[in-house]
Amino acid sequence: MSRAPRQINSGPKKIFQPGEVILEVRDLTMVFGDRRVLDNIRFQVRAGETFVIMGGSGCGKTTLLRCLIGAQKPTSGSIHLFGEDITRMDPIEMDRIRLRFGMNFQFGALFQSMTVGENIALPLQEHSEVDPSLIEMIVKMKLELVGLTGFETFMPSALSGGMRKRVGLARAMALDPEILFSDEPTSGLDPVMTAVVDQLTLDSTRKIGATAVVVSHDMTSVFRIATRILMIGNGPRQGQVVAEGTPEEIRKNPDPFLQQFVKGEADGPIPLRMAQDDYLKHLLGDG
Amino acid sequence: MKFIVNALRRVEGDSYVTLNARIYSFLLWGLTNPKVLSPAHTLRQMIRIGVEALPMASLVALSVGFILAMQASTELGKLGANSFIPDLVSLSLLRELGPLLIAIIVVGRSGSAVAAELGTMKVNEEIEALKVMAISPVRFLVIPRYLALMIMLPILTVFGNCVGLAGGWAVCVGTLDMTSSFYITHAVQRPEVWDLYSGLIKSAVFAHLIITIACYQGLGVTGGAEGVGRATTASVVYSILWIIIADAALTGLFFFAL
Ligand SMILES: Nc1ncnc2c1ncn2[C@@H]1O[C@H](COP(=O)(O)OP(=O)(O)OP(=O)(O)O)[C@@H](O)[C@H]1O
Ligand SMILES: [Mg+2]
Repeated sequence: MSRAPRQINSGPKKIFQPGEVILEVRDLTMVFGDRRVLDNIRFQVRAGETFVIMGGSGCGKTTLLRCLIGAQKPTSGSIHLFGEDITRMDPIEMDRIRLRFGMNFQFGALFQSMTVGENIALPLQEHSEVDPSLIEMIVKMKLELVGLTGFETFMPSALSGGMRKRVGLARAMALDPEILFSDEPTSGLDPVMTAVVDQLTLDSTRKIGATAVVVSHDMTSVFRIATRILMIGNGPRQGQVVAEGTPEEIRKNPDPFLQQFVKGEADGPIPLRMAQDDYLKHLLGDG
Repeated sequence: MKFIVNALRRVEGDSYVTLNARIYSFLLWGLTNPKVLSPAHTLRQMIRIGVEALPMASLVALSVGFILAMQASTELGKLGANSFIPDLVSLSLLRELGPLLIAIIVVGRSGSAVAAELGTMKVNEEIEALKVMAISPVRFLVIPRYLALMIMLPILTVFGNCVGLAGGWAVCVGTLDMTSSFYITHAVQRPEVWDLYSGLIKSAVFAHLIITIACYQGLGVTGGAEGVGRATTASVVYSILWIIIADAALTGLFFFAL
């Protein structure tokens, strides 16, 4: 594979000290058709944090993450990443920002026509002047981190769902990003692998000083890694911030919605099934 | 130069025109920095979408050569003008049928494959993953395919013309008692260089249409496997439509306006 030249001048960049605001979201609203999927979301993430976004299925976590990485323009609101508003950026400026973060997609998003090794090597080949033999070594290191030593030559289609997710994580970390965005990195993994991936997230924040923004609804994992948690609601509170705080604050928060989610109970304010009368009306079709 | 390139790359939106603008920006950039054009990828695509179409293109060209000679012989024979058959075969092939039919084969074989491949990548979020890694999908995926087809279609066309002429020769020599030397002198002497060039210009225009339409449809897929199917069909239908419209326009331009 030929190596493309460095095309993006990363320029002088500000190094964020632990505790400085590295990501700030203000009044973010996202509307699809007439559905308000995200409603006035606002929060700050400081460098070195492991910031966990949680919420029920369909509450808009992936949509939020897609806005944060500039894959989608929000309907309104602003997103300041590394101190710059990415909602007003043109594609070239955006590329400069993109080199500084990594994204682990919910479903891996691996390149199906490339081997596992090539998937992880691609960002290195495209964006660094590193020697091919060194790239090979980095690929091995990243694979070792996610417990997939020896799978370099496998095609993504020959991997299990959980293995694909881990390759996605390895690829996201290939360039040692300052911020790691991770969409449900542990869903579909066994308890041991979950712990390994959690440890990996913790290592990147505690040891390397990076920042992690993780979407998760696995409560054990959330409380294991989070330094701060943002809970997004669904149902009548679709896309709104239900609560934000440290794990301790979230545990103590009396909000019944939040408590139901944290404890994983079927009964509570989170509307899942209809009340019997409503159900009958709905089936019979009279309003 | 750099200014034009950056201005083109800054164009936002996902229309057919912006796709073209992005392609040109990278091609311009490639003039000063050939690595942008990823030669290795381009070579691989040339083999995939060009060389592998060779057998089918030859078969079609050969049949067209037969058809032209046989059809011509029925009418020209009545006039006692069988000696014009080689001229007719070679002119029709070079100016018109060679570029057109080879392009249509390539639409069905390679254009649809490109649309389906890029569409699947879109559905699988691979395109988005590329963008997030600050790798332009146009540079990484479209440019190698674009260059490959722009180079390979004219080559395939020249090759198809030769095979078609051989088909005409087989009919003339086999059934019409023409000597090989007569056929070859007439078939080769009658056309002017411009006849060949006009066909090649056509095939370059067709290549541009095929690959930009296929990439545009592929990158624009929404809605899962069904969307990929729709895009593939659309890429074939629109390519053929625009190829024929362009052919009419170019023929008018080359042989009536100039
Ligand atoms: N492109 C789109 N067009 C229309 N609606 C969309 C689009 N993308 C997402 N949505 C809607 O936005 C809502 C949130 O989707 P999203 O994928 O963000 O959920 P999520 O919180 O990540 O859920 P999960 O935990 O199941 O992954 C869903 O109800 C979905 O229907
Ligand atoms: Mg999601």
